[in-house]
Amino acid sequence: MTANLKYVGNPNSKAADGLEKVLGTAKYVGDMSLPGMLYAKVLTSPVPHAKIVELDVKPALAVEGVVAAITADDFVDHGFFGWPVKDMYVLAYQKVRYVGDPIAVVAAESEEAAAAGVAAITLKLEELPVVSDMHKALDKNAPLVPLEAQIGEGNLLVEHIVRNGDPDPILAECDEVLDESYTFAAQEHGYIETEGVFAIPEPSGSVVIFANDQSPHINRDNAAAMLGLPAEAVRIIQPPVGGSFGGKDDHVYQFTGQIGKLALMTGRPVRLVLSREESLATSYKRAAADAHLKIGMSKDGTIRAAKTEYLADSGAYASQTPLSAWRASMHLAGAYRYEAATVDTQAVYTNNGYAGAFRGFGNTQAAAASEVAIDELAARIGMDPIAFRLKNCLRTGDTAFTGNVIQHEAGLAESLEWVRDHSGWEEKRKTLGFKSGEEILKGIGVACYFHGSGLGGEGIDYARITLTIERDHSVTLQSGLTDYGQGSRTVFTLITAETLGVTPERILMLRPDTDTAPETGPTVASRASIVGGNATRVTGEKLVQKLNMAAADLLDCSLEQISRHGEDFIGPSEEPLAIETVIDHAFEMGLQMSAQGYWQIPVIHWDFEKGTGTPYYTYSFGAQVAQVEVTKTTGKVQVTGIWACHDGGKIIFPKGARGQLMGGIAQGLGYALTEGFTYKDGYPQKKNFKQYKLPTSLDVPEIETHFIETNLEQGPFGAKNLAEPVMIAATPAIANAVFHATNVRCRDFPISADWLKAQLA
Amino acid sequence: MEVTFKLNGETVTREVTRKLTLLRLLREDLKLTGTKNGCDQGDCGACSVIIDGKLEKSCIYPARNLEGKEVLTIEGVSNPDGTPGDMQQAFLDAGATQCGYCTPGMVLAGEVLLMNNSDPSRQEIREAISENLCRCTGYQQIVDAIQATAKARLNGGAK
Repeated sequence: MTANLKYVGNPNSKAADGLEKVLGTAKYVGDMSLPGMLYAKVLTSPVPHAKIVELDVKPALAVEGVVAAITADDFVDHGFFGWPVKDMYVLAYQKVRYVGDPIAVVAAESEEAAAAGVAAITLKLEELPVVSDMHKALDKNAPLVPLEAQIGEGNLLVEHIVRNGDPDPILAECDEVLDESYTFAAQEHGYIETEGVFAIPEPSGSVVIFANDQSPHINRDNAAAMLGLPAEAVRIIQPPVGGSFGGKDDHVYQFTGQIGKLALMTGRPVRLVLSREESLATSYKRAAADAHLKIGMSKDGTIRAAKTEYLADSGAYASQTPLSAWRASMHLAGAYRYEAATVDTQAVYTNNGYAGAFRGFGNTQAAAASEVAIDELAARIGMDPIAFRLKNCLRTGDTAFTGNVIQHEAGLAESLEWVRDHSGWEEKRKTLGFKSGEEILKGIGVACYFHGSGLGGEGIDYARITLTIERDHSVTLQSGLTDYGQGSRTVFTLITAETLGVTPERILMLRPDTDTAPETGPTVASRASIVGGNATRVTGEKLVQKLNMAAADLLDCSLEQISRHGEDFIGPSEEPLAIETVIDHAFEMGLQMSAQGYWQIPVIHWDFEKGTGTPYYTYSFGAQVAQVEVTKTTGKVQVTGIWACHDGGKIIFPKGARGQLMGGIAQGLGYALTEGFTYKDGYPQKKNFKQYKLPTSLDVPEIETHFIETNLEQGPFGAKNLAEPVMIAATPAIANAVFHATNVRCRDFPISADWLKAQLA
Repeated sequence: MEVTFKLNGETVTREVTRKLTLLRLLREDLKLTGTKNGCDQGDCGACSVIIDGKLEKSCIYPARNLEGKEVLTIEGVSNPDGTPGDMQQAFLDAGATQCGYCTPGMVLAGEVLLMNNSDPSRQEIREAISENLCRCTGYQQIVDAIQATAKARLNGGAK
C-alpha cells in the first residue's frame, strides 16, 4: 500500500500554507479590517461567584462613540448552548461563575470608546460563597456552581468507570503494591494569537463571521440558534489560526454569537480581538486533576492489577470535561497488561476558570500519573525502567486494561527500544544518577504511552471532503476540517496529489467555510489526518475514475489499459497524454469533475454504564527519554536532551510530523516544569505571559526524533494519529529523570523549583 | 507630533500621538499586518521588528521615538517582487512554520543575529530567539532554518 509513493511521505514536502506565513501576508482575524468597522470589548466578571442583581447597558450607550451594547437578554433563550452538556450562555445569565465570565459586550467607533462604554455599564453583583477546591465541591454544604445540578445532586458533572475483573483479591496477594496520588494544575494553551471574531452583516439579514475557532460548523449551529436565525443565514469562515491545541472552541462560540449579534444590530462590521490578559482570563484550560493509583505486581516485576481513581476540576462550566475525563479513564492504568483493573472517575464543577479540550485530552494527566507510578514500581525492585516497561507493555494481540484486544500492529516495544538505543540509556543510567556531593545533579528518565485514535466511544467519527477539478486544470479541495497550525491542509493536499497523480502545486485548499465546505464534524482528537485523509483518498479515487474514462475515450482503449507516468496518462500506444488534455476532454464529454467522499472510522462500542467494551478501534504508541540537570541550590530543572519515538503509522507529511512531535514535547516540558495555571479562592494567579511561563528556546533542548512506521490498514496510506499523543510522555519522562538525578520523586505537577530545592537541602 | 523615519527603505512621515506604539502605527495606520500582536506587553516577541540593526518589540516601542530611525519589518525582508527572501525560504524548507503567528518575529530575530554574527552556533541562535515565544514548533526547526541561512550566506548565497 505504501510502495512507490511520490508525495505522501516525501521528506521534501513543504507546508501548503507556509509561503503566506513566512511572507507575513497570511490574514489572521486581527489583520482584517473594513471601512466603518466597529470595535468590540467585553465586560467580564471580576469575582468568582455572584448573583447578577443589576445589569444595565444604557449608560454605556450614552458614552461618545458607543454604538451598541448587549447582554444575554438580547439572545434567544439567553444564548443557552453547550455540548455534551448544555450549561453555558452566550453571556452570563443570572449568575457569574468564574473570574473572567463574559457579562456584556460593547461595540464602538474606537477601542478607546468601547473600553469607556464597558466601564460605564451598571453592574451590581451580590457575591456568593465560592468553591475553589475540587475535593470540596461535592461536600453537602458546598455552594452549587451551575444554575441546576447536572446529574444527581450538587456539583457532580460526570462519572465514568472501567470494570475489568476484580483487582482487590489480586492486589491482596501481590508482592508489591504502590498506592500513590498524583496532582496536576490547570494548563493554559498559550496560542500566540489570541481569540478573534470579525462579523460582517449582509444586505439580506444574514451575517458572515470570520472566527479563529476549530470547528466552524458547530460554531455556525450554535450562533444561528442564539441569534434566532436559520443555519443558512450564518456563514462561518475560518481564517488562518495562530495556534489552538484544542483551545479555541467554546468561548470562541460565545464571542461569535456576541459579535454576530452586534453586527446585525448595527448593520456594520464588528471586530473583537482579545488582549492577552482577557484571553488568559476568559479561555478554558486543561483540567486540573488528581489521580490516585493502586498498582500491584509480583516480585519478578510482572504487573498484575490496578485500582485507580481520577478527579477532574471542570471549573465553572462543563465544556469538554465530560469527554476528556472519559479519555483519562480509558488510559489511566497505562499501556500495560493487567489481570484486572478498575477506574472510577468523577468531574466536578467549581468556581475556577473552566476546563475544556487541550491536546492529549485527559491522557496527558492520565499518562503522566501512570508513567511516574510505573517508574516507582520498577525502582522498588531495582529493575531498569525500560526493561520493566518492555516486560509489561502492550504488544499486538495483548489485552489493554480496559479489556479490549490491541488488534493492530503496536509499535510500543519498538519505540522503547529505539529511545533506549539512541539516548545512550544503558551507559547514562550508570554514569549519571544521584551523587550527594555534587551541585549539579544529572539524570535520565523514560516514559511511554498509548493513545486511542479519534473520538472513540465519544461519537460517530466521520469526514466529508469535496474535490473539484477546475477548467484551468487546478484542483480545489474543500473540507470543514480545519488547520490551526497542525498541518492538516498539507496532509490533505499531499493525499489529493498522490491519489489524483497531480503535483501539489495544482491543488488549492479553500478556507473552511460553512457555506461551501461539507459539514464534517469537529476538528479534534488528532483525527483529521485519518478520517479526513481517508475521505480525501475516497474522493480522489472517484475523480481518478472520471479522468481515466476521459483518457480511455481519447485513446480509444479500455480503462484497464490506462496507466500513469507522472501527471501523464499512458495508453496502449505508449504515447503520453498530458493531464490538461484529459481534463479538457472530460469537460467536453460532459463529465461532472467534482466529487464528494465520505469516510467513517469503524464503529466500536463502549458501555458507559457497565464500564466495559472497546473504547477505540485502534491506538498509536510511543516512548520518550529525557535527560536533566538539577541545580541543588535553586531546584531549577534544565532539560538537556530528549529522544522521542512515535508509532504514528505511515507518516504523510514528514516535516510537519516532526514539528508536531517536537512542539508537543515543548508543551509537555512546560507542563512538567513551569506552566501551572493556579487559582486561589477562585482567583487566577497568572494574568499574563510574565507570570505564566511558556518554555523558551533556551528551555527546550535539542530533540532527536524517530517514527516507527507500522501499517494501519484502515489509515490513509497506513497513517495513525499523531498530534496529541506526542506531547504526553515528555512530562513523566522529565519527572522520572529528576528522580534519577535527585532521588526525589515528583508527584505534583508542575514540579515546583522551590519545593525541589527544599527536598534537596 | 510628526516623525520621519525609514520603513523598509522608504521614507515615511507621520503624525503620531504620545501614546501611539510602533505596532499600532504599522498595523492600523500603515496597514502592514505582517507584524503580529501577541500580548501588547513585550512578553512574546510576535511584534518584533528591526530598528537600526537591533531587534525591538514594536508593541512597547513609542512611535514618537522613530525620528531618523531605520525600521525593517517582515514586509521588507521579502524580495521586492514578493517572493520570499532567503531566510523566509529557509523557514519554509525547514518546516519551521506551523500556525505561522510567531514566524515574522522569528525571521527578524534571525536576520538581526546574522547581521552581527555570520556563523552562529545553535546555542547562539537559541539565545537570539529566546524572547520570541513559539507554542507550536518546539523551536528546533526554527534554529535549523536560521543556521541553514547562515551557512548558505557564508557559502556565497543571497544577501
